[in-house]
Amino acid sequence: MMKKLLLIVTIVMITSMLLSACGVPAVAPAPAEPAAPAAVGEIKIGMISAFTGLFSGFGEMQKQGAVLALEEANYMAGGKKIVLIMEDDQLDNEQAITKSKKLVEQDKIDILTGMVSGDEGLAVADYMKDKNIPVIPMYSASEDITMREFHPMIVRTTWTGAQSMDVFGYWLATQKGWKKVYQIGEDYSYPWNQGGGFMRGFCRGGGEEVTSVWSPPGSTSDFSSMIASIPLDQGYDAVLYNGGGGDAVNFVKQFVELGYHKKIALIGQSNTFEKPDLDALPADIVGAYSPHHTADDLNTPEWNTFKEAFNKRWGRNPSAASEFAYSSMRVILRAIDALNGDISDKTALVDAMLKVDMTDDPRGPVSLDPKFHAAIGNVYIREVSKAEDGTLYNKGIWTVKNVSQFGPYDPDTYLKQPIDGNTYPPQKCSDFPPEMLEAANIYEFVEFGK
Amino acid sequence: MSFMRNNTIKSIFYVIATILLVLLPFYVGQYTVTTFIRIIYFGFLSLSMGFLIGQGGMVSLTQTAFFGLSGYIIGLFGVERGLIFPWPDLMAIGAVLILAFLFGIIAMRTHKIVFLMITLAFGQVCWAFAAQNTTILRGWSGIRGIRPFVIYGINFNEYQNFYWASLVLFFLSVFILWRITKSPFGLALNGIRENPKRMAAIGYPVYWIRVVAFLIAAVYAGLGGILAAYNTGIIMPTTIQLSRTIWVLLTVILGGASYFFGPIVGTAIAVWLDVLISGVTERYNLVIGVIFLLIVLFSPTGVIGIFDTLRKDKKFTITNIFSFKKRRYIQKHKRRW
Repeated sequence: MMKKLLLIVTIVMITSMLLSACGVPAVAPAPAEPAAPAAVGEIKIGMISAFTGLFSGFGEMQKQGAVLALEEANYMAGGKKIVLIMEDDQLDNEQAITKSKKLVEQDKIDILTGMVSGDEGLAVADYMKDKNIPVIPMYSASEDITMREFHPMIVRTTWTGAQSMDVFGYWLATQKGWKKVYQIGEDYSYPWNQGGGFMRGFCRGGGEEVTSVWSPPGSTSDFSSMIASIPLDQGYDAVLYNGGGGDAVNFVKQFVELGYHKKIALIGQSNTFEKPDLDALPADIVGAYSPHHTADDLNTPEWNTFKEAFNKRWGRNPSAASEFAYSSMRVILRAIDALNGDISDKTALVDAMLKVDMTDDPRGPVSLDPKFHAAIGNVYIREVSKAEDGTLYNKGIWTVKNVSQFGPYDPDTYLKQPIDGNTYPPQKCSDFPPEMLEAANIYEFVEFGK
Repeated sequence: MSFMRNNTIKSIFYVIATILLVLLPFYVGQYTVTTFIRIIYFGFLSLSMGFLIGQGGMVSLTQTAFFGLSGYIIGLFGVERGLIFPWPDLMAIGAVLILAFLFGIIAMRTHKIVFLMITLAFGQVCWAFAAQNTTILRGWSGIRGIRPFVIYGINFNEYQNFYWASLVLFFLSVFILWRITKSPFGLALNGIRENPKRMAAIGYPVYWIRVVAFLIAAVYAGLGGILAAYNTGIIMPTTIQLSRTIWVLLTVILGGASYFFGPIVGTAIAVWLDVLISGVTERYNLVIGVIFLLIVLFSPTGVIGIFDTLRKDKKFTITNIFSFKKRRYIQKHKRRW
């Protein structure tokens, strides 16, 4: 009976080989067809996000913002019904790719959006490269998505990591006169990018040194040894915590518990003091600076309308992640409107997105760079403050208008530099390439609210 | 080999299942095929773990590290150095063998719970190294842009071709592993599982048999890793994190750790549950967890165990359709594995 088994296996092998040989020309053209919308008058938007895992807070905020924009439009755009399909990737690359494949291959989506973390965005953008489906990253801030790995189907209406931090570093060095900063960061692409922007801005403004220590994200909840090794006697002006989400909550809590907030100033990157994590932080951090593209007390009619609507729908105040999702989704809907619902030509859809008027964006006027499809918008320097009801919020103090992802640099010069990592940019400002220090200042610091 | 004896109906069933699998891309959508590719590469991984558990009685938590290692080698040499087929793939298997040998000669000195802990430590060391090494392995960002090759004019970027290649590789590998299990080596391994001391007394080189079994299992994990890297196009530390290892262990137990085909059945069920339930509810992890729990609670021998018990039960005539002759045979021989 061994012979019988061998016979069967051989038959199967031969059949499969024959079939694969014959099948190639017959089946090959099939996937080349563009994914057609499943039903007439229906546009499918896929949203992939980390609703569970380390950044679930941002994922949740992102979802709420996107849903709010869709509900305001009544799930209709350009005369067609909009269907939103959400998938959770658990902040895992294998899941992110698998869920993108599910959206593309099974649901036949027309537009892909979402993405919370930087690496997630890079992975999904890499997979989507040859799919001819527009990709609109929301909170994912790795600059290479719209720089070195840019492809024409990407439209990012939000931000890159370095965008806000470059302004922040420059501001600290020029306005505060700080010379040395001690940076503790999460060891992956988004904090590298934030740190890179910070170091460039800080050194250009006249700083001397940004000492950096990196630790893998989510690997520990005990930062006491890392905090204890902060050198207090070496003239550092501040500690920059370059991380967000659960790690930031743990770090900042322990920083305060160990009494370090009385010994040295604490500043954060864009996510460190973001809502909803800010609600879990101790009130002792009042006065800590951080930069972002939103501020909680932004007093413009657009922001107030958005805040009110968000509060009414979800019972909480919006954060940057929800604003980014809201504005990204609105760009998508307006582009579909502009094309009267005919989105069969994806290049035309991307062009329409680039032409969308975003001057009424809640976070301030935004325009899109036609070459790299990245956003140019306001950056706010913010300070953690205590509201009358005792809760913490990010109070804006300075505004810088029209900041692009390249900061004050010429795109060509910028792209010649290595990718931001945990070894680049150099820690000492004197080791910087001169062209990165010489760029003329184009930032104009306007008092917040004016 | 007994599963073929006097059982033409069952053989026909297997042949039909095989043909259905081979013809799969012709009658289902692209995503179903993608899901089957996932089942195949996770099947390799759980087969690797299930082989060690079922045949050798060794619960190893290092297998995911081998899975990731071969992916990293593909990324490093196939993408960054630009080597072409088959060099990155051969190097991946070679690297997996070397690492498995190094780990094996240390880990095989231990048994039971100590073995579990030491393999857990190995797996975690690999994960931490991948996460923290930013100069070569790119830390958390991982290596992107891994794509299958075009070999002899066949473009494996087409999902159908990739599926058929994976399927052929899978059938071949499963068949070879099945033969290994039934060979004198496999039986010696089973003996070591039951009583290592007695096997040593008889004169078997217990230590080296276990090391070789570990190497074989590592190659299977490595093969899965190669397919996974090509299919996802990216390799990151999250691929080899502990939660993945635990998930694979669960699939092995779900299918039935003591059965040869248990890990494959378990993986197929787990992957499909994930696909089907995540589309229905956001709390899909909870639902899947409860299903896992129920199966393990009512059948400690997994899903195959359920069918096995039903088949042995005379009252269930419907499930005995495929083995009406076998019933007597089973009663006579009382299969243990």
